[in-house]
Amino acid sequence: MKEKKFNLLLFLSILAISIFGLIMIYSASYIWAEYKFHDPFKFVKNQGLFFLIGVVLMIFISRIDFRLYRKHANKILGLCILLLILVLIPGVGTVRNGSRSWFGIGSFGIQPSEFTKLGLIIFTSKYLCKNEKDMKSVKRGVLPILGLTLSIFGLIMLQPDFGTGTIIVMTIIGILFVGGVSFKFFFKIGIVGVIGIVGLIAIAPYRLARILSFLDPWKDPLGSGFQIIQSLYAIGPGGLLGLGFGNSIQKHFYLPEPQTDFIFSIISEEFGFLGVLIVTSLFLCIIISGFKIAHESSDLFGKYLAFGIIFQLSFQAILNLCVVVGLIPVTGVTLPFLSYGGSSLLITLCSMGIVLNISRSGR
Amino acid sequence: MFFKAIHTRMKIVLLMIFLFFILIIGKVFYIQVFQYKKLNKYASSLWSRNLPIEANRGKIFDRNGVVLADNITTTSLVLIPNQIKDKEKTAEALASILNVTKEEMMKHVSKKTSIERVHPEGRRLSYEIADKINDLKLPGVYLVKESKREYPYDTVLSHTLGFVGIDNQGLSGLELMYDQYLTGSYGAIKYFSDAKGARLKLNEVYEKPQDGINMTLTINYEIQASLERELDNAVSKYNPDQALGIAMDPKTGEILAISSRPNFSPSHYSDYTIEEINRNLPIWATYEPGSTFKIITLATALEENLVDLEKEKFTDTGSIQVENARIKCWKHGGHGNQTFLEVVENSCNPGFVVLGQRIGKETLFDYIKKFGFGQKTGVDLNGEGSGILFNLDKVGPVELATTAFGQGVSVTPIQQITAVSAAINGGTLFKPYIVKSLNEPETNTIVKETTPTVVRKVISEDTSEKVRMALESVVSNGTGGNAFIEGYRVGGKTGTAQKVKDGRYMVGNYIVSFMGFLPADDPEIVVYIAIDNAKGVTQYGGTVAAPIARNVLLDAINALGIEKRTGASEKEYKYGEKKYVEVPNVTGLSVKEAMTKLGSFKVEFSGTGELVSYQSPTAGEKIYEGETVRLMLTE
Repeated sequence: MKEKKFNLLLFLSILAISIFGLIMIYSASYIWAEYKFHDPFKFVKNQGLFFLIGVVLMIFISRIDFRLYRKHANKILGLCILLLILVLIPGVGTVRNGSRSWFGIGSFGIQPSEFTKLGLIIFTSKYLCKNEKDMKSVKRGVLPILGLTLSIFGLIMLQPDFGTGTIIVMTIIGILFVGGVSFKFFFKIGIVGVIGIVGLIAIAPYRLARILSFLDPWKDPLGSGFQIIQSLYAIGPGGLLGLGFGNSIQKHFYLPEPQTDFIFSIISEEFGFLGVLIVTSLFLCIIISGFKIAHESSDLFGKYLAFGIIFQLSFQAILNLCVVVGLIPVTGVTLPFLSYGGSSLLITLCSMGIVLNISRSGR
Repeated sequence: MFFKAIHTRMKIVLLMIFLFFILIIGKVFYIQVFQYKKLNKYASSLWSRNLPIEANRGKIFDRNGVVLADNITTTSLVLIPNQIKDKEKTAEALASILNVTKEEMMKHVSKKTSIERVHPEGRRLSYEIADKINDLKLPGVYLVKESKREYPYDTVLSHTLGFVGIDNQGLSGLELMYDQYLTGSYGAIKYFSDAKGARLKLNEVYEKPQDGINMTLTINYEIQASLERELDNAVSKYNPDQALGIAMDPKTGEILAISSRPNFSPSHYSDYTIEEINRNLPIWATYEPGSTFKIITLATALEENLVDLEKEKFTDTGSIQVENARIKCWKHGGHGNQTFLEVVENSCNPGFVVLGQRIGKETLFDYIKKFGFGQKTGVDLNGEGSGILFNLDKVGPVELATTAFGQGVSVTPIQQITAVSAAINGGTLFKPYIVKSLNEPETNTIVKETTPTVVRKVISEDTSEKVRMALESVVSNGTGGNAFIEGYRVGGKTGTAQKVKDGRYMVGNYIVSFMGFLPADDPEIVVYIAIDNAKGVTQYGGTVAAPIARNVLLDAINALGIEKRTGASEKEYKYGEKKYVEVPNVTGLSVKEAMTKLGSFKVEFSGTGELVSYQSPTAGEKIYEGETVRLMLTE
């Protein structure tokens, strides 16, 4: 196995989009930060720290042989599950925005579900390599890993964090799809999924309001339609070229917490359609590079791992963007690289470090 | 082979990711390009706050451009509570300037609203107070322009003009009727604010207020002022229950002046009762017209060729028997043998009963209706009455007889003056009106214009001429003598009507009236005056109402520039009646000489000395014998 060159395009794209994210977090958040903490740089300082640590870690991880994770896959996932259980205990885990998802360390917060996202991808990649022959069988190959995934989903739903749970389940299904599980199975899963969604709505009717609000946000402009309307009021007036950097009006308390889930709205408002094209291009650049790395990897575990990481990133980005532009109901998912959130950025950059390392191994 | 399968599936996934990204980019493009206008509009209205700027209300002018309702600019206090940082300090400062309690002010400055008007303490501020507030330069405290209605002539034309409320909204009269035209639309200073109401440092947009439409009336201010003055004089002289007057151009139906007492001051409307404000008597009041109504009977008889005024004679014995009723003449003992012209001059009731009998009830009532009685004239004013006529089935000989001289019908003043206009203008009934035109304030473009509206032709030109001639002789020879103006051919008719209360005539309580016009050969103005229950005077139309009408007509001669006539029918002097004589020139003469020359007048002096330096009336004016001539003396 010969050493390949460091994937510079992917690395630079990651740096570019993260730095752009930092700038936009500042622009989107300084009003709120000034209002809440009397420090307009509050959020960007936090995020900047995580970014620096994340970049160092990414470079460091890109030099660690990814095959090491295969060896420790069980331990890594075990630790993640332990943390997921611990975070549910009041006093240990803290509640933010209605979910007990955080380990609070001062003003910093760490979400174990973010680590679990990566841990489960590593575990599943190893599982697929190990049980290559069994994957044709639903009973012996698919059900055990799906069962594990759904258990973890269950744990996350106890927080509750529907967005992260959905991302984890969909990522595992994506890896299974690539891993050769028959189409018939996915058709069945689709039906189960629909039934599941109906079931979840039946349990918590507020989800139905969210769905209705996405169809016609003006039906309940101050309730369930509020966020999407505020998002559209940012995107629409942005027009083709935007209002210019720093000139967003919606960030002036109209769009709640504009630096997190709805940062893309502020980007659209300040940089217009042009900005949207630049951001989506950067994402596609990272995604295509990632797929290429997965494609070119000669190691089956590395292939699954790279695909899983990139697929998760793509899925989360698409989920967030679809919410922001009003294509699907509000789910509460952040936009990778761009939304404010330290542990999320940290894990994303670490994941990218793994992908960068896989790219070195080549065919 | 196994890798190949993985790669195929990876390509499927990548393709789907691509599709989703295209979908997202497409949706953004749709939002930013196709929904741009709509969302930008919605968002702007979410972001922008308006500081309203009040528009001027349309002005109201008389026919010659005299401003009857104007605007003065004032400032009002507007607060934006979210921009007020130090509420305590702001409230305290404003409270001391506006002279209200701090607690009161705290309510305003901490109100949960985007824009708070301090009402009413902060409205219509004087310049000194506005200056004081401006000097404080407090954040969130704004002064905006407001326009306040101003009536330069106060009570003049008050019922017709009406008045406006604190928000400049029309509440009565023309102000109410034409509110949608007179009201302008608000302008604004638009600025962007954040969701908490604080002002953003972005450009302000100034939207100009649109002033209201101006209104020009048919009113002639000089005649209006004359009428107002005369009604005021009548009120102080006779202390009547009510008084009213209208002046109309008989050739068009344009109202030249209209007023009544009691009236009100539109700037202080809250000091008056609803009745005082809303009852525009000239169009609202309905009462028995009395003898002025005889003009209608006269016109009908002439049009139907039922009488020859000069040749036919009638003997009035003082009363006439109609079925079981004996109808008396107003003059005890009657007028004796007279021509029908003299019947008109003397306003002889039995004479008119005979005319009524000749006409017959169907024809008489037909004409009454054709002259516009019994229905609204359609004048463009609020609150018009329609009057009451006998139901034709119930009209017996007695009802016919009384109707002929103006009893038993109930009419409005506007109906009467409109009908008489038709009788003397050549026979055409016009729809009366007061709003001449509505004009754009800046370009003066006509938005709406009223032109004379012919309702119908009632009598012939010939008949109308005879009516004019007969009415002229009422003034020169008959009961209307007190309205005579030398050289201007005044025509007219007196009226004295008993008031009805609870179905019975009241004793010693009359509405006395006079309908006068000039010049009789080609009438340019008709004036109707009615005084309800004049006190301290013999209640006859000729004694109370005719002199008032005469004074208004005198002013109208100047106002309209009416030329003196030659060949007017000379005034005939009745036995015992005072003569109407020219005042000789005594200025410059000694007191003794002057006294001799002024033998037939009363003389009053002012000043001391032997020489007359000034006289009033001046030489050549005509006054009645025995009236006063004032002389100013010098050494």
